Amino acid sequence: MSETSAETKHPAHLHHHFVDSDQQFESSKMGMWIFLVTEILFFGGLFAAYIVYRAWYPELYLEASQELDAFWGAINTFVLIGSSLTVAMAIRSAQLNQIRGLIINLWITIGLACTFMVIKYFEYAEKLEKGIAPGIYYTYDGLEHEKANIFFSIYYMMTGLHGLHVIIGIGLMLWLVWKAKRGAYHSEYYTPVEITGLYWHLVDVIWIFLFPLLYLID
Amino acid sequence: MSGHHISSAKFLWGVAIVLFFLTFLTVAVTWIHIPEPWNVVVAIAIAVVKATIVVAFFMNLWWDSRFNTILLVMSIVFFMILIGITLLDTLFRVDPIPTF
Repeated sequence: MSETSAETKHPAHLHHHFVDSDQQFESSKMGMWIFLVTEILFFGGLFAAYIVYRAWYPELYLEASQELDAFWGAINTFVLIGSSLTVAMAIRSAQLNQIRGLIINLWITIGLACTFMVIKYFEYAEKLEKGIAPGIYYTYDGLEHEKANIFFSIYYMMTGLHGLHVIIGIGLMLWLVWKAKRGAYHSEYYTPVEITGLYWHLVDVIWIFLFPLLYLID
Repeated sequence: MSGHHISSAKFLWGVAIVLFFLTFLTVAVTWIHIPEPWNVVVAIAIAVVKATIVVAFFMNLWWDSRFNTILLVMSIVFFMILIGITLLDTLFRVDPIPTF
């Protein structure tokens, strides 16, 4: 590009401290990756707790995970992978300037995320009804292991924090739909869609590990 | 904008179908009762393959700046250090189990 004046060539979305749209996009994306690093280490602490207690009480994990229904865990894995696909399709639509496709794919993603949370709600309700609650609130007597509450404390912390991320993701995507309807995104500027997509895929990746570690101990 | 990778719809569906298949596989291997340490190894291995596919082809690291890949790899390295040093304590305690 030659020496054109900034006033005529300056797109509305470009902040003045960036050289061009590409540099702004790459900077945002790198910032998101650095945030995702902190997320991995945030969940990493819980995975560390999981590993330490599993090394201490291997038989507890075998026994207690029988209380989790692998069928619904698997359905939720399919639901989240499906939502990752629709987020990827939403980004593709934005890249191709198909704003209608972007909005439709975001709505499908929100629907799948809500499906995940509804299934999670029924799983939690079924357990809490039986007295399978975290920590000192554990009153269920269907498991022989005296430390059974520890497994469920870890279960509720890991899936609860993950569920919180899903709820935040639903909020972010509702915001994206709202902005997209106002014409904020097009093929030259779709950074928030890309960034939210990265976040959503990470939530999916964490569930990919949670599912076998919690539901499929056999 | 130039230089952004745009995946075809067919490709994205292909990635999702592979992930669906691997989810089915991780459930299916529990039906054949692999003996003790290996069932965990198989479950984690499938999860790592699935996560790698998501990161490479949905999060686009395959086409992205190498710096972002380095960030991800470093987070995994530091996670391993966290696990490693913690286990050096908890696995070798004389009086191992806390009271709670």
